[in-house]
This record gives sequence, structure tokens and C-alpha cells, in this order.
Amino acid sequence: MTTELPYAADAEVSLSYDELEVLRLQYERELAQAHVTVQTKFNYAWGLVKSPLKDHQVEGVRLLQDLYRSEPSRRRECLYYLALGHYKMGNFEEARKFNGLLLEKEPTNMQAKSLGQLIDKGVAREGYIGMALVGGVAAVGTIVLASLIRRAARK
Amino acid sequence: MAPTAKSPQAPINVKLLLIGNSSVGKSSLLLRFSDEQWLPEDESSATIGVDFKVHKMDIKGKKVKLSIWDTAGQERFRTITSSYYRGAQGIILVYDVSSRESFDALPRWYSELETYVSDSVVKILVGNKVDKEFSRQVPTAEAEAFAERMSSLFIETSAKTSVNVKEAFQEVVERILDTPALWEGAPGAKTTRTDGGRGGVPGGMQVVGASEQHAEQGGGCNC
Repeated sequence: MTTELPYAADAEVSLSYDELEVLRLQYERELAQAHVTVQTKFNYAWGLVKSPLKDHQVEGVRLLQDLYRSEPSRRRECLYYLALGHYKMGNFEEARKFNGLLLEKEPTNMQAKSLGQLIDKGVAREGYIGMALVGGVAAVGTIVLASLIRRAARK
Repeated sequence: MAPTAKSPQAPINVKLLLIGNSSVGKSSLLLRFSDEQWLPEDESSATIGVDFKVHKMDIKGKKVKLSIWDTAGQERFRTITSSYYRGAQGIILVYDVSSRESFDALPRWYSELETYVSDSVVKILVGNKVDKEFSRQVPTAEAEAFAERMSSLFIETSAKTSVNVKEAFQEVVERILDTPALWEGAPGAKTTRTDGGRGGVPGGMQVVGASEQHAEQGGGCNC
């Protein structure tokens, strides 16, 4: 018996269009009445963060940041989804910062730990791409330099 | 048997959902089952939103790939976790045998199930924390009778001492494999494809409104 995937499935699964619509309509209805409940705002932000669309993720993170500031009792959840949102957007540094804050409060939180692993993997992947780019530039540079030197030597 | 895989190697996908009140031990059961681990109370933390694990096992000579969804029991996550019911073939309802409150909340969980899943979905009622026998508040016979009334399987477990944990998961999966309604028909093709949670049951669902209304009505019924 083996277990394949880490926790933090929330990183991978998004809501259907209809489901997100329900959350959005609820939020907008309350917004129109000038009284948005914490729950409604959190639900909508959660749905947005889970979306594969970058615009949604950005808006979700913005709402979560609002909640984080205004609702100390919801900080735990906000931290997790802020980390998740930033992770999905590729902002690994922010993701790590928020996830780290959660781990500081709950050092054994399994969700935060596995999200931490995902973030590390993301950073590593980005590192490889970076190295590949630098390597490529260096290779091209060497060729150009070599040909210049050769040309200069010929003269 | 109904679930016929295309090739003998292809595993059968099964989606299970763990539900129940906060801190009855849903995540602990999953951790014990999948990783053979246990976290003491002071180290474990309440689940945020939803989590899941994929676990492979052999049942009756068949390869089964379980995706087990672990939901937060806290009330404030109710409206968002309800969206995870779609495509589930098995529901594990957990209560704590040393907490009467967690048992008394079960009718509400069952009424939520009525809203979100079809009747053929396999349910198992799990009384966890039998290691706390000295402070038991829910007699086995009472829970067993209740489970029968709700046409659910029943088992008592301890994630801490590992008692009956594997059996609980095994029983649900066996029953799922033996329930053709979960595999046949057009929607069935979708329900088996649970990878990534995209195997939705058609027919639409209301994430927020439905569950909130239900919570209000649900308290009174079934009691």
C-alpha cells in the first residue's frame, strides 16, 4: 500500500464555473447592501484562489489580505489560502512567508507542511529554468566570444 | 461484477469523503490509514477547508485507487466543503464515542448528504476514539441501531491505537465495488473518473444557499 500525493490538494483542484458564480453572486448581493459578512467574503476569496485564472487568484488574495487585517479570528485560514494563492501565482517568496507564519503558530500542521513542500518544489523548478537560461546565455556568449577572438586573431 | 476495468492493470478509481463534527478524528483516521501514523491531540491541528490523499490498495484481487477527501468539521467551512460531495461513491461519517454532541449532530450530516449525494452512495458510520472507553458517552448498541436506520454500515475505531481503521475503509470500498448503481449508466462513467475532483455528478448544485437553508431545517428532522 502506498500513498502517492501529498496533502494540499487545494492547490490542484478548482471549482466549476457555476459553483464560483454562486459564491460571487452572494458576495455581490451583500456588497450591494453595503454589508458583507466575513463568511461570504471568505468563501468567495477561497473560490477565487482555487481558480486556474490569474485574475481570479489576484482578486482572491486581495480579499484575503483584507480579511487578514480585519478579522484576527480568521487569520489561520487566511494565512493558508494566502500562501496557496501566492504559490499558484508563482510568487514563491510571498507564499513561503505566509506559510511560514502559519507554521510558526502550528508547527505540526500537515497542510502547511505539505504546501511548504510544494513551494520548495516550485522554487527548485524555477531555479532549474533559471540555470538553464543562464547556461544558455553563457553558451551563446562563449560561441560569440570565441568567434570574435578567432576573427580578431585572423586579422 | 459491475466495475470492469479496461485492462487488468488499470486501477478502479473510488472517491471517499470524510465528514463529521470538528475534532472527532477524521484527519487522524486518514493519517492512520494511509501513513500508519498518529499525532497526539496537542500536536494535531484543525483541517483548513479540505484536504485529500490518494491511496492504492488491493481489494478482492482488484486494484483500487482511493482518493480520500478530508473535510474541515468546523461550521465556518460548511458552505465551502459541500462542493466536494460531487462524484463521491462512499461517505465516511465520523463521530467521537466520547462526545455525545458529535453523535447528536449526525442527523444534520445525514440531511446534508440527502441534498448532495444519490441514495446509492455507500455510507459508513464510524464511532472513533474507542481508546477512550472510560469516558464513552455513546453506547455501541444505540449507534448501531441508528446506523441501521440510516442504511449505513457501522464500525467502531481508534485512530490512536489503530483498531478497525483499515477495516472501516475496506468495508466501504468492498460495498462500493458490490453496488452496481454506482458504476452503471451514463453518469456512472463520470462518477468513476474522480481524479482531480472533476468527476461531477450532473444535475447542478448550490454551494451556498442550499446548505444554509438545509442547516436551518435540518436540525429538527430525524430526531
